[in-house]
Amino acid sequence: MSRIVLENITKRWGDFVGVDNLNMVIDDRAFVSLLGPSGCGKTTTLRMIAGLETPTSGRITIDGEVVFDSEQGINIPPSKRDVGFLFQNYALWPHMTVYQNIAFGLENLKWSKEEIRTRVDELLALLKIEEFEHRYPSELSGGQQQRVAIARTLAPRPKILFMDEPLSNLDAKLRMEMRVELKRLHLTTDSTFVYVTHDQLEAMTLSSKVAIMEKGILKQYADPLEMYNKPSCIFVGDFIGNPTMNFLDAQYKDGTVSFTGLKAKYITEDGHQINCEKGDSKDVVLGIRPEYIQIRDEGANKGTIFSTLPSGMETTVKININDTIITSVVFGSVDYPVDKEVSFDFTGNSIILFDKENGDNIAIGRLEF
Amino acid sequence: MTNTRQIRKNKLRDFFSQPANIILVVFLVLLTITTIYPIITMILKSFTITTMETMMFPAFDDGDLFVDGWIKLLGGSDWSKARFYTPFIHSLVLSATSSFFAVLIGGIFAFFVCRTNIRWKGIISTLFIFPYIMPSWTIALFWRDFFVNDNIYAYNGLFTSLFGLKVPEWFVFGGFPIGLTLGIHYAPFAYILIGGILKNMDANLEEAATILKTPRSRIITKITLPIVLPALLNTVLLVFASSISAYSVPVFLGSPADYSTLTTSISFFKTSYPSLQYAVGLVLIILGLTILGINNALTGKRKSYTTVTGKSSQISYIDLKAGKTIIAVIGMIIVVFISIFPLIVFFLESVLVDHTSYAVSNWTSLYWLGDPNNKELISSIYMYEGGILRMKSIWKALGNSLLLSVSCALIAGTCGLLTGYAVVRKSNTRLAKIVSTLAFLPYLIPSLAFGLAYLAFAARATFLMNSLALLVLLGSIKYMPFATRSATGAMMQLSAEIEEAAILTGTPWWKRMVRIIFPIQKSSFLSGYLLPFISCMRELSLFVFVIADNRMILTTFMMYFDEKGLPQYGNAINMLIVLVVLFINLSINKLTGASIDKGVGGN
Repeated sequence: MSRIVLENITKRWGDFVGVDNLNMVIDDRAFVSLLGPSGCGKTTTLRMIAGLETPTSGRITIDGEVVFDSEQGINIPPSKRDVGFLFQNYALWPHMTVYQNIAFGLENLKWSKEEIRTRVDELLALLKIEEFEHRYPSELSGGQQQRVAIARTLAPRPKILFMDEPLSNLDAKLRMEMRVELKRLHLTTDSTFVYVTHDQLEAMTLSSKVAIMEKGILKQYADPLEMYNKPSCIFVGDFIGNPTMNFLDAQYKDGTVSFTGLKAKYITEDGHQINCEKGDSKDVVLGIRPEYIQIRDEGANKGTIFSTLPSGMETTVKININDTIITSVVFGSVDYPVDKEVSFDFTGNSIILFDKENGDNIAIGRLEF
Repeated sequence: MTNTRQIRKNKLRDFFSQPANIILVVFLVLLTITTIYPIITMILKSFTITTMETMMFPAFDDGDLFVDGWIKLLGGSDWSKARFYTPFIHSLVLSATSSFFAVLIGGIFAFFVCRTNIRWKGIISTLFIFPYIMPSWTIALFWRDFFVNDNIYAYNGLFTSLFGLKVPEWFVFGGFPIGLTLGIHYAPFAYILIGGILKNMDANLEEAATILKTPRSRIITKITLPIVLPALLNTVLLVFASSISAYSVPVFLGSPADYSTLTTSISFFKTSYPSLQYAVGLVLIILGLTILGINNALTGKRKSYTTVTGKSSQISYIDLKAGKTIIAVIGMIIVVFISIFPLIVFFLESVLVDHTSYAVSNWTSLYWLGDPNNKELISSIYMYEGGILRMKSIWKALGNSLLLSVSCALIAGTCGLLTGYAVVRKSNTRLAKIVSTLAFLPYLIPSLAFGLAYLAFAARATFLMNSLALLVLLGSIKYMPFATRSATGAMMQLSAEIEEAAILTGTPWWKRMVRIIFPIQKSSFLSGYLLPFISCMRELSLFVFVIADNRMILTTFMMYFDEKGLPQYGNAINMLIVLVVLFINLSINKLTGASIDKGVGGN
């Protein structure tokens, strides 16, 4: 059981708060991504769990054992936390060959020469880098270095593996390949993975659970599809998904929303009430995923094509409705001439109402014209 | 029809339309004249017999070419052993000792300051640089005057006066104290170089080892040390090259025990075998070049260390826990002993009437402020010439020192800046590589030998003989490597796009330099001026044989008094030099942000 529990973790540097009162449970064998823009505290969080950074306050428990507790003064060094760490820049030791790099950690564990040989060979084969065994890191390409770094991290069979943007230095094609391999590695190694990234697609596709952070605060911690469909706030809705969600300023009054010259009934998914007195009007933001704006001939609403971005498999269409530009996605190889008038509908049950004031998700439902 | 002549003309025009190329060509010519030509002159001089030597070798006439001098020097006779081989071994031993101590002391301090949470980093760091700013013999003089006792020398030093203990001779005179004091002098140099690497070293490399359960000691021996090893070796070689040409330190700490070195041999040959002083000078140059060769052979091997410069955003300091105060106290004691204490001792020794007694009743201000015309004093005190602050000749020497140092700094700094600029802009061209090697060469040529080379050079270009211009040229070329180094470093950090953006808007070259490049890296470039200035102010060996008696500078004046057996004057002048240099260094540092560490290549 490698369950990680963070309780009230805060990290401050002087007046600057890096991570603010973070509470989180990472389940055994989970693949959890910490996602957010640069400077949001995700790497700091990772380093605190690994023990490379000391939190200002809070408590961290790994596998039932308290590894950090500011009140009791407990701070177990990283070497005793039984974790692996994959650095963004790989941090391969330049003066050691690939073999020496991978074997180094095993030597620390006082493995016998034969055991080390066997284990390193196993990893070289697993990561398909057998032929580079005697090379130095400077003689390898970025992708090869990356594999060596993974092999070195996996060698002692850590129960928990931390990864700090390990794919960000690779080119797009290699990154795709490595994603597939990382996901397979997660299954074969039976370890808990904690992964830091600023790439939402990477977090979505790899993780069993995503934690999204902004300015040191955990905004939402959920599985990827839930996060996609039920973002807790505008920030999460905006960060997840590509093309991004449409955000339209709207007025809510007595069960109807008016936006960009349109007016529609808003029916909440589970019939729950929106906190707004009868007769009062409330400033809200409508959050609509592009795929819920469907272009079709019999569509109830009209607009003109502003611009199109065909990619072959799908086309992102920008539609101008009364001088507001909204984004729609059409599947298949289609294209539209600019300024052509089109009809469309708002479909689906996942249209979200955000509070304009604080950005919180207040309701999920559908629009009826 | 292709007109090859036209094509060649176009190519030439294109080549010279780039300022960097013009600079490279100009410096190729200039540096060849100022570094290669003097060495050739030296070679010739070493094979040319002088009037004085014709008595020893009657078969030759004055000015004849001969090899007998070299044969006598290297022949292996008892004379050759005493005058060449023993000094040669001594020079190697003391340089090795000096490198060892410099890297040991500098490396340990660099480690604690850059990698741990030791207390008082700022003050330790500032004081630790002092010995490098002070003249190299300062520590040596301090060592002698502090530990000396009447068993081995004329009087008792402060240590014996205070504790009544008398240290053995080897501790004060000979290879060990020379190596140690030179090592202390160069320790800040090692500190800056190694510290720079430690600071820039990717902290993740160590963290990766920590995560893999590596014990602290194993991280240091298996990860940290191997990674800084190239910098360490580089430092060892540079300190070795500097130490081997030390002259004043062997004079102070070697001569009393008849411990001769190649440099003191040169001094001996100067009066008796003039051609052989050039021969020994050449041996020093060959040693310097050998070191360059070793350095080049050691770098650029398979295990490239270029990956050392990673992002070092998250440096985690080693927590020394309770040790952070204890070690800081030990560190403070050491830096105070090597940087503050010498100044106090110098001051004390410059105010003693009788330099064997430290009693307060024995204190006097005569050597600082005494009236030079007081007949009573002149008759009562041995060799009394008045207080140094009231001696016209001292003020003149200070003026000379400043004039010389400022001129050298301006020339060396500017030439170094231009060379650094051109070398980086045209890096990877053969021309740039040759010019950068030529510009670094003077660093490896021992000061004393370089001075001699210019003496030989001036004998041919007689208009330079005994002129200030000769000294300025000598100092400028010798210290240009410092400026080139810091300018190269600064230029490398500056992307070419910054200048290219200005080129595209049609900004002329001089304006790009003055308005864009210089302001961005101001403090690094200014450090390229500061280092030659300081080095020149405290330089002795470079100028000692070249300088004319009517153009004394402070350092030669100090040597003059010390040779005359007037330690009070010597100490007072030394104190004056140290204070002037420290004051100017500090003011420039505060005013412009330029500093010694930036000049040497640290951060």
